[in-house]
Formats: sequence, C-alpha cells, structure tokens
Amino acid sequence: MATLINTLWQGLWYKGGVGNWSYQFHRLAGLGTLLFLAIHIVDTAFVFFAPELYKHALEIYRHPLFMLGEIALVAGILYHGMNGLKIIVFDFWPHLWNHKNEQRANILIYVATFLAWLPAAFIMGSSLYKHSILPWLGGK
Amino acid sequence: MKIKLKIKRFNPEKDSKPWWGEYEVDVEPTDRVLDALHQVKWFQDGTFNLRRSCAHGVCGSDAVRINGQNKLACKVLMQDIVKKDDDTVTVEPILGLKVIKDLIVDMEPFFAHYRSVMPFFVNDEPAPADGRERLQSIVDRERYDQGTKCILCAACTTSCPSFWSNEEYVGPAAVVQAHRFIFDSRDRAAAERLEVLNQQRGVWRCRTAFNCTNACPREIPITQLIGEIKQTLATGEIK
Repeated sequence: MATLINTLWQGLWYKGGVGNWSYQFHRLAGLGTLLFLAIHIVDTAFVFFAPELYKHALEIYRHPLFMLGEIALVAGILYHGMNGLKIIVFDFWPHLWNHKNEQRANILIYVATFLAWLPAAFIMGSSLYKHSILPWLGGK
Repeated sequence: MKIKLKIKRFNPEKDSKPWWGEYEVDVEPTDRVLDALHQVKWFQDGTFNLRRSCAHGVCGSDAVRINGQNKLACKVLMQDIVKKDDDTVTVEPILGLKVIKDLIVDMEPFFAHYRSVMPFFVNDEPAPADGRERLQSIVDRERYDQGTKCILCAACTTSCPSFWSNEEYVGPAAVVQAHRFIFDSRDRAAAERLEVLNQQRGVWRCRTAFNCTNACPREIPITQLIGEIKQTLATGEIK
C-alpha cells in the first residue's frame, strides 16, 4: 500500500504534458462533483429526518467560502463534461489520437470551459457579492 | 559544459529509502544522457547501477525518467534538455515497477503482461501450395506497421496512470503487441487476444491520458492503437 501511494504521489509530478494535466483535472473535477452530490443528498435528507439541521446546512451554503467553492465546482462540472465529450469523440474516431489533435482538443476544452463558466461565475459571483460580501462590508 | 546530474539512488541492501545522488559532469551539448550516466558509473561512483545494452535506441533497455518524463537515456541529447538558466538534469527509475537497484527495475511484471496477449504469429492452416511464405498485400502489411516498431522498453506502460494505480492492467505496450497481431491478415488468434484485452485488466483501463504516446521513443501512436482495439471490441469487427 505504501508503495502504491508513493507511486501515485510521484505520478502526480510526472511531466506528461497537457494530456496528463487533462487526466488529472478530469479526476479532480469528477471527485469534486461526487463529493458535492453526496453532501447534497445528505442535506436534502435532513428536510425529512432533521429539519433544524437543514436550516443549518443552508446557512453553511450561504457562507462566502462555500459560495466560492460552488463557483469553482461549476468550472469543474463543465470541464468534466466537455473533456468527457472529447474522449467520446476520440473513441469513435481513434485516428484522431495524435499529438497535434490531442493538444488542440485539450486547449479547446480549456477555452470552451472558461467561456461557458464566465456567465455562471458572473451570476453566482454577483449573488455572493450582494448577499455575503456587501453585508459583511456594512453596505446594504 | 558542466551539468549537475541528480540521480535517484536506492540500494535495498543498504538504504531504507531512495536518496538523490548529485554529480558534476562535464559533457558536450551533443552527448546523450547515457554518456553522462556512464561518466558517473565509470569515473565517479562505481556503485551506481543502470541497465543498458545496445546504447543506440534499439534494445530498449535504458528507459528512465529524465527531468520527470520517460525517455531512453541513449536517445536524449544534453542540448535538448539542459536549460540556459538551469544546468540540473534529474534521472529516476521508471515508475510502477519495483526498483531492484538505482535505475534498474524488475521488468518481469511488464513481460508477464506482454506474454499474456500471445505476442507471436498463430496460424495452423496449411502453408501455401508452393511451400513458401503466406503472402500479404502492401495495404494489409501497412495496417499493423506501427505496432512492429515497439522495442519493449516499457517507457509507455510505466508512464500510464492506470498502470501506476493497478499493476494488473496489461498496459499500453502489451496492447500495442496485441494490435500488431490482431490486425495481421495472416494471423488466426485475434479472438483469443481480444478476449484477454476485454477483461477487467484489459484495454478498458486506458483513460486516454496520452502519456504513453508522448513517452514512446519509437513515436508509435499508442493511444490511437488502443482506441482501435476498443473499437474492435465494441463493434466486433476487425477492420
């Protein structure tokens, strides 16, 4: 087990280029989404089993740090979905798997994810500013 | 030019964990990393161990991690890796296989996977009437040409995150070898090989990280070949 952990740790720093980064971001985004879904299922269950805890969960959701995390989560979900689509397309046409296409596709995914994330980040960021940061600064 | 060569050393008989050995080596820009490793072995520290045979990129025995990426030490020139502002070159053993000593790893699990895909020609049909070779068109020969270039250096398999996390995975090199025979129009054991690759430890463990293709010193489009095997398994058609 120690050897496996050591190998995986060293693997994190392997300089495989943009493909390796995509692989790691894909896993990270997937795990983040899974974690959020698990938390969301648990807090929704509170409505029935422990309503007072549900209110507490909502307060946590409105915490600025959690809201920032949600904005990051949207980026993760978008990236995970788009990178998944890329893999599906390449799996249908394996001859696309070459250096040039792989680099181009990954850069395209990063750009597309960023562009798709901007509106969501703006809307969620505005809410964060209005409901959390402004009251904290003493504004209305 | 002078470079600082950092080599990950480990002697299981003496060391409890790996350590970095640092050596100052005088090299020409056109020297290979292998030449620098030889300088250390021959003139600075005879206890240092590495594996190499032909030293010309054919035998595939000196695959190591150079500056964090799998390469053949005999094919990488100093001028291509030494930066102007950083004269340090790091050399580590390839990942995912047990280190025997210094840069030498136990290749047996790798070759066990290689053997599991039957990397040999199978055809029990009678030979042609003239008793000579089984002829094949140029197009048929070209279909599996990429796979014939593999030198079994393990640079691909040991750059694969799926292999790092599960050594049961057959790995890219074994898939390439299977591809070489599956798409050979003269071979008759494609079904057996595909069965091996369709198992849990088979080709579906590939997560398309593309490290294998980047690491291959023979420039084999490994991820593409793996994709072709996946497609063959999904459609049942060898084309």
